[in-house]
Amino acid sequence: MQILTKNWNKIDPLRIDSYIKTGGYESLRKAIREMTPEKIIEEVKKSGLRGRGGAGFPTGDKWDLAAKTPAKEKYFICNLDESEPGVYKDRTIAEKNPHQIIEGLLIGATAIGAKKAFIYINGYYRKQNEILEIALEQARGKEFIGRSMLGSAIDIEVDIFQGAGAYICGEETALINSVEGNRGEPRLKPPYPPVAGLFGKPTIVNNAETLANVPFIIKRGAKTYSQIGVSGSPGTKLFVLEGAVKKQGIFEAPLGTTAQELIYNSLYGGGMASGKDFLFAQIGGASGRLVTAGKLDQPLAYGAGEYNLGCGSIFVADKSTDLKNLLFSWADFFHRESCGKCVPCREGTYRLWEIAKRIKKNEILKRDKENIEDILWTLSNTTFCPLGNFAAIAWSDAMKMFGKEIFG
Amino acid sequence: MQIKINNKSYQADEGEPILSVCKRNGIRIPTLCAHPDLLPSEGACRMCLVETNQSKSLVSSCTQKVCKGMEIKTETADVKRARKVNLELLWADHAGKCASCKRNGRCELQNLAEEYKVDEFKFVPRRKELRSENELDLLKDNWSHVAIDEKNPCIARDSEYCIECRRCIRICRDMQTVEAYGMNYRSSKTNVGTPFEIPLDCIFCGQCSAVCPTAAITEKDDIEKFEKALKDPQKMVVVQTAPSVRFTIGEEFGEAPGTFWEGKLVAALKEIGCDKVFDTVLGADLTIIEEAHELIRRIKNRGPFPMFTSCCPSWVLYVEKYYPEFIPNLSTCKSPQQMLAPLVKTYWTQKEKINPEQIVSVSIMPCTSKKYEAQREEINASGHQDVDIVLTIRELARLLRKKKIDPKKLKERKFDPALGISTGAGMLFAQSGGVMEAALRTAVEKITGAELGKVEFEMVRGESGARCAEIDVDGMKLRVAVVHEIRNAKNLLEEIEKGKSDYHFVEVMACPNGCIGGGGQPVPTGPAVRKARIAGVMARDKGMPIRKSHENPVLKKIYKEFLGHPGSEKAEELLHTKYTNRKK
Repeated sequence: MQILTKNWNKIDPLRIDSYIKTGGYESLRKAIREMTPEKIIEEVKKSGLRGRGGAGFPTGDKWDLAAKTPAKEKYFICNLDESEPGVYKDRTIAEKNPHQIIEGLLIGATAIGAKKAFIYINGYYRKQNEILEIALEQARGKEFIGRSMLGSAIDIEVDIFQGAGAYICGEETALINSVEGNRGEPRLKPPYPPVAGLFGKPTIVNNAETLANVPFIIKRGAKTYSQIGVSGSPGTKLFVLEGAVKKQGIFEAPLGTTAQELIYNSLYGGGMASGKDFLFAQIGGASGRLVTAGKLDQPLAYGAGEYNLGCGSIFVADKSTDLKNLLFSWADFFHRESCGKCVPCREGTYRLWEIAKRIKKNEILKRDKENIEDILWTLSNTTFCPLGNFAAIAWSDAMKMFGKEIFG
Repeated sequence: MQIKINNKSYQADEGEPILSVCKRNGIRIPTLCAHPDLLPSEGACRMCLVETNQSKSLVSSCTQKVCKGMEIKTETADVKRARKVNLELLWADHAGKCASCKRNGRCELQNLAEEYKVDEFKFVPRRKELRSENELDLLKDNWSHVAIDEKNPCIARDSEYCIECRRCIRICRDMQTVEAYGMNYRSSKTNVGTPFEIPLDCIFCGQCSAVCPTAAITEKDDIEKFEKALKDPQKMVVVQTAPSVRFTIGEEFGEAPGTFWEGKLVAALKEIGCDKVFDTVLGADLTIIEEAHELIRRIKNRGPFPMFTSCCPSWVLYVEKYYPEFIPNLSTCKSPQQMLAPLVKTYWTQKEKINPEQIVSVSIMPCTSKKYEAQREEINASGHQDVDIVLTIRELARLLRKKKIDPKKLKERKFDPALGISTGAGMLFAQSGGVMEAALRTAVEKITGAELGKVEFEMVRGESGARCAEIDVDGMKLRVAVVHEIRNAKNLLEEIEKGKSDYHFVEVMACPNGCIGGGGQPVPTGPAVRKARIAGVMARDKGMPIRKSHENPVLKKIYKEFLGHPGSEKAEELLHTKYTNRKK
């Protein structure tokens, strides 16, 4: 079943007509002409669609909250900040089929009554930014965006907001701060953005992949959608396979598919690259858990099992992988991307990075092992926002699995 | 509602943070970013974490609100570990030069390090652990980015001491609306700083230095200059002390806030070698006489109204920088410091036949901004810089400790009487509402020509940020207002601009509760501390034999012998000033 990748490489992303020919914007037309906002939300709720950014929050419930919060102005933001190392799914949707995201965004904005929508794009995504600019312009020309959309009483304006490539701005409240012109730092919750977000107004922040699912749900109905995937996690998901597999890249598979299948099935990864022996798979980006061969058969779905699918990336490490270098790259990434707001994350990721440098250079100090334990503990338990927890996940697993190898 | 803390029941209000319930009930929770003047808290330091039955993870008690059935534990193994590890992480990033630090013994980080027995830089390699010279960069190399600001006259900043608690940013933004500070850079390089790291360009109120838990932001240190003057046999050191100093300096030596230490203060100043100790309260009385005169003149001339007090240099600077259109509304009267000082270098030196060149005029102030005021280019009425050195209370206390002088052990002494007799009215300058009340005591008598039955004007007293009153003076309705903290002043200015308020006379103090909450006051500060300080001032005014400025016998004499009358040419020359549009 293909929802997201169906028309990739078939349509011309620079020409809206090519999207319309495949039935594009029919869902928006349906949503505006045949459905009430309540009905749209009802449909999305029934579909069981869950946020594809990693947290898996039910999208319909989120929209419902924003729709029910009384306010003069509301905002709808598409989160295209994607800055997890080795993950490029959202970027690819924008590149291959930008209108699918825009259509989902417009349906969402219509549902909650937002007159202003943004696409918050990672500042490094120059090419995708251009493609989206062109797509928005063409959508405006077709009256899908702007005043009296498709002859209705609905006005929605969509703008692209370029972030500065900060990982933390993928967190919705930091993203909102960034749009407001403030430092990209997470806010205290509650209030949650659907109640008080951008400029204090109800705001929905949805991942680009989430939104790309919406046109399908509206067109084919919640029931059809909810039958794909597994109970509690319907639909398909984009998985990014990287590392020592035969075929690297993006694969669309129903939720509930196991990592085992994704790595070894010829539809997807096609097995280990020749001459490589499986060591572990990291599932869910740099903040993902390390999964050993025996545990790969867990269905990848939201809120189930020992590990989360997160944003859906699978990095396969093999026995020739330089573990010390890998540890350093994780520590380096999270140290660089800490926003600096809270003590454990700002100082902890920094000290971990220092230790990682020493590990790489084989200059470990006696106290480093104990210090790592303290840092990982404080990152996991005391930080202001989840970035700190993320920073500790892979390291904690690596220490359990390879601590002896590293420290002797 | 009832909640449980460490298995005991406590009463709590809906929506109250856990920390506030604990504080009220004497349950100790360490904090670094929370401050009583900065509510609600932001939860950045992660020191106040506690366990609750509502969440699996630890929560920051400064931000987490209580709810029905909540059970809180403040001393579990995890809580203790969180405090210790986070403190060790902070400590590793800190300068760690306690012995030479300005805040030694008064540093919140140092206190916590002591309490939690953090006695080593756990996360920093030690020299003996290095195997070769080229590993030296493993030592504390995280100071690659240190911001130091020495290019302003009032505030010293050194980010090596900074723990990024953001109190300074918040007080400057939320209380003073100036927003001089922000966060620069990211991750471990995160730094409190100014935009583009220009030297601090603000109103120098020093509230940032009063709330800073460490020595990252302090008053600019002028102790060395003072010591040099004291040592110079050619120089005569004449010092004046602001009204509020005597009520707070005791805190630096373990006394309760509000303890009246006038005699000890004078004795200590004499002990370190000051030749003469005069009282700024006399300057305050002089300010009142001139200001009351100016008010009466404005009433006769029908404006411009409102007349704003001008004794707070931060407020004056705020008007000059942000609302220059209100410059004509600022009273032309100098502040008490700047009124007393030219008298010292003219009237007093002439009388005593001393060459004013020999005088080093020093003032002890609760204020960082006074350092700037003393250097204002237009203030040199005596033909010299009127005030040569300004020390905050914290600096004086530091110097006394350095010299091993304990005022507690000294016999009380009196101000030198030539410029040292003062009134209760002048004493009131120590706190918000005081200038107004003192001015009313004089102005109302001057306008009506009759003696006041009751000298207290209770309607201008109190702690609220903005207070107003209407006073009937011989049939004229005199509308007055008292505001403190710039946010309240800004509101008032906007109201006046919109034509929503029409006051005759407005007192403005930049700091919370006026000088008693000044940026140069002892730390810690907070509403409760300031309340106790104010109680001390009020009690003192009540006990003073003379309570109206115009009845000050020394001033009567000075007017007779030297100044002539209020508003005379000589008074204009020495006691009044002008302002500059500094808007950018």
